[in-house]
Amino acid sequence: MGSSESVTRSGRVLPAFGIIGWRWISRNPASAIVPVMLPFLFLYFLRIISPPEYFPLAVAGAMLYTTQNIGSWCLTDAAVNRIELRLQEIFVASPLGKIRYLIGVAVSNFIAAAPALVVQGVLLALVWPVPLWAWGVLAGCIFVIWILFSAIGIAISTRIKSQREIWPIGNLIFSVLGIVSPIYYPLSILPPAWQTVARFLPSTYAAELVHGSLGLPQVPASAETLALDAVLLVVSALIGIAIALVVYRWRER
Amino acid sequence: MAFARRWSGTGVFLGTSMRVQLHDPLAIVSSALVEAILIVFVWVLAPKYLAFALFGSLVYSLFLIGQHVINEAAYIRIEHKINELYHASPLSPEAYFLGMAGGIGIAYLPTTLVLFVLSMIVYPVTVGGFGALLVVLLAVWLFSASIAYVISTLFRDMKAIWPYAALITNVLGVVPPVFYPLALWPAEWRSIALVLPTSSGAALIESAAGLQPLPLGDVFLAATALALEAAVAFVFAVWWARRSSREA
Repeated sequence: MGSSESVTRSGRVLPAFGIIGWRWISRNPASAIVPVMLPFLFLYFLRIISPPEYFPLAVAGAMLYTTQNIGSWCLTDAAVNRIELRLQEIFVASPLGKIRYLIGVAVSNFIAAAPALVVQGVLLALVWPVPLWAWGVLAGCIFVIWILFSAIGIAISTRIKSQREIWPIGNLIFSVLGIVSPIYYPLSILPPAWQTVARFLPSTYAAELVHGSLGLPQVPASAETLALDAVLLVVSALIGIAIALVVYRWRER
Repeated sequence: MAFARRWSGTGVFLGTSMRVQLHDPLAIVSSALVEAILIVFVWVLAPKYLAFALFGSLVYSLFLIGQHVINEAAYIRIEHKINELYHASPLSPEAYFLGMAGGIGIAYLPTTLVLFVLSMIVYPVTVGGFGALLVVLLAVWLFSASIAYVISTLFRDMKAIWPYAALITNVLGVVPPVFYPLALWPAEWRSIALVLPTSSGAALIESAAGLQPLPLGDVFLAATALALEAAVAFVFAVWWARRSSREA
């Protein structure tokens, strides 16, 4: 097999999983609508209780939260594939490797999240004049968080033994990660001990980077601070992905 | 006599269901996460509404505990496929439904108790307020568990259930004034909030506690709506349980 043919074949996994993602949405629209609604419900809630000047920050945070949630959906998908449908053994026996399976499931679930991200992006553009380069920063952060949380979701899914565990474990892990990181509000308003814990999480740096790049007065950031946040985001995400790959069991049931 | 016999298995099945739930402590702990998130949001961004958020979390918690029946009833039916065995046994369909809901309710109660202690620390209530709180929470749970049981029978796939369960709990728990004061809800929609089971429950508790006194007419509307919803949902769920067991 020539190298070009090999590349062509290995690339098929993404559209294939993309189609799987689309099929699931088209057959069960609630599956796509409901998880996507949660960040909007939180936004609505925050709009009511918090000072209005935090709203653009919360909208940007909702984009990161939606991306984080993809990890939870990956966990559900991969666990259902393995436990209920018994498909993982077929995937293992196929030429599909564990990384391509991970990326495939991540792509499949990104499709369900994409409409929400687009709507949130439009909302953000309406409530705050976002500089062009900040959109790039936002897209980069979404990409890093997507890969990281998808890896975490799939890694954890391989350790789940029963369908009954899927919801509580996914809920526990992703909700805690979502709330500890200051996604919806500035890090600076949190109590010091909480800030210390949050600094161990990649989402904190993604949130700091996005909030800082928007130029919001509540989150003043210099170019040096943003660069440091970017480095810390990438480093912490790489550590997180490495841990996830260690936890991720491919061949065992 | 026949009436007593129809409900006679409730206690036994309640015990069974409770023990099953207690084998899964992680699910019990994680069940209070949304409440925790919303309380944290309020604590960080609007601490003046913390007492509202805590009382609301009690209502949401009981509503969520009722909604766990969706998952459990579907799990027994779809994954274990043993509900037909139960229905073929002397256990009546209504005892099966109420026993399961009661067992789940008791097993998940510790998280509600934690929220209750926090509420009492932040805003203590009188004995009368405590009585009203208990009655309201019981009505919210009964409504939620009843509709959850009915909904659970409509699905054939576990994966499809979770989004709907999340939709119901979040639309009824996060959007209406459950974790925040009724006064922040648009005035023209206030009567809607007073008839929704979650926000009417929160408004009644906050009014009974003296945190947010309501006009008598609003109290009457909220109490009547909640009582009717709980009673109608329960009667319908019992009827539905009998009907669906015949079809199983």
